[in-house]
Amino acid sequence: MTITIHLPAALRACCEGARELSLSAPSVRAALEEIERRHPALYRSICDETGTVRRHVNLFVNTAHVRDREGLDTALAPGDVITILPAVSGG
Amino acid sequence: MPERVILSIGTKKGLFVAEAAKPRRSFGLRGPFGSGVAVYTALIDTRGKPRLYASSCNPFFGMKVLLSTDLGKKFQETKSAPAFPKGDGRALANIWSLEAGDDKKDMWCGVEPASLFRSSDGGDSWEMVPGISNHEHARKWQPGNGGLCMHTILRDGQRVHVGISTGGHYVSEDGGETFTASNKGVGAGFAPDPYPEFGQCVHKIAGHKDAPGRLYMQNHGGWGEWDGPGGRRPDIGVLRSDDHGKTWRSIAKGLPSDFGFPIVVHPHDADTVYVMPLEPMTRTCPGGAPAVWRSEDGGDSWQRLARGLPKKESFFTVQRDAMDVDDVKSPALYFGTTTGQLWIGRDGGEEWSCLFDSLPPIHCVKVAVV
Repeated sequence: MTITIHLPAALRACCEGARELSLSAPSVRAALEEIERRHPALYRSICDETGTVRRHVNLFVNTAHVRDREGLDTALAPGDVITILPAVSGG
Repeated sequence: MPERVILSIGTKKGLFVAEAAKPRRSFGLRGPFGSGVAVYTALIDTRGKPRLYASSCNPFFGMKVLLSTDLGKKFQETKSAPAFPKGDGRALANIWSLEAGDDKKDMWCGVEPASLFRSSDGGDSWEMVPGISNHEHARKWQPGNGGLCMHTILRDGQRVHVGISTGGHYVSEDGGETFTASNKGVGAGFAPDPYPEFGQCVHKIAGHKDAPGRLYMQNHGGWGEWDGPGGRRPDIGVLRSDDHGKTWRSIAKGLPSDFGFPIVVHPHDADTVYVMPLEPMTRTCPGGAPAVWRSEDGGDSWQRLARGLPKKESFFTVQRDAMDVDDVKSPALYFGTTTGQLWIGRDGGEEWSCLFDSLPPIHCVKVAVV
């Protein structure tokens, strides 16, 4: 089951400049675990060392924020796109 | 290559590097590096070929350690930043101090929440130092306004001092294996017990390599008017120890305020110490007229150094790591402000001028002659 991870510009240096990653995972949690295996620096930018998604990082499955679905247990279907975005902020 | 004076300037929007020939007539500026991301500490490592380190404290994507091997012309991330072990339950929130260790690649790092890490490979990998990070007091320390940070690491052979806000002063006599709270004489204004065993809001500790028993501390002062439980506690803000931090005594008498953040020792004279007194309520310059205060007798008396600094209407803060002194024969002091000015005080602070007046808010300033 192949899904796509879309990366913001600020994180592309963690995976040799790639804009997107393709991987197989049945849930958002499994996708993050696969990212940790393949691209540990990218994983550390998304999650802290307790495994919690960083406070200012938003994860979307297609157009839905994972917090409005089942969080990290949100199930994935073939062709789904996970978009990683920093939260909007000023200052 | 002739000697150069290098300044690492950590700001809210990244790291700047300033460089001058040793007479320090004019400085060139480059940066920002790690742009847009706050830098709270920097280290100019002069062991062997100079290496410039800086913390890059990204609230979005976590903490990084930046490294330059070409005197700050370009930076790259080290292979990893400190991280708590899995299962610890704590997550790194900030990097507050970087210090050189014993051999060329040994490094120490103080973080938020207050813990100590050590690297044996120049910052590419880090291990938590459990003697202080898992100290029986560690889960009782409380964050101050700046967070629960380990901001000071001072080393003298096997002796290691750390300063924690809000936790106090701890010392190890065995190279960092074990630590003991060592706060006798260090007051706290925000607790009923004016002299607790630990929990003081230490702002900065400074020492001198030729007089390791002598330490100076800028503690959280400003409690002279306190009339609550425990009674008045004036002059607890500026302290001195002559026994490796076992006991401390006030040296604040004569200062316009015992509140402040940085404290700096003259590179060639352990009796000469500099502070930047601030109003305790606003944490800005008393009367809007900034001044560095110098003692040449170990804190027994103080002189105001303000020639060239604004005489009025200046209400900035100088943060705990935003003042440093170089080790040229006639040293210059440097301080950076929360309003983005970088000042130099030539001739030991006798004559001040502004090197850069519109940088982002400055968190830290470090200087070295390389």
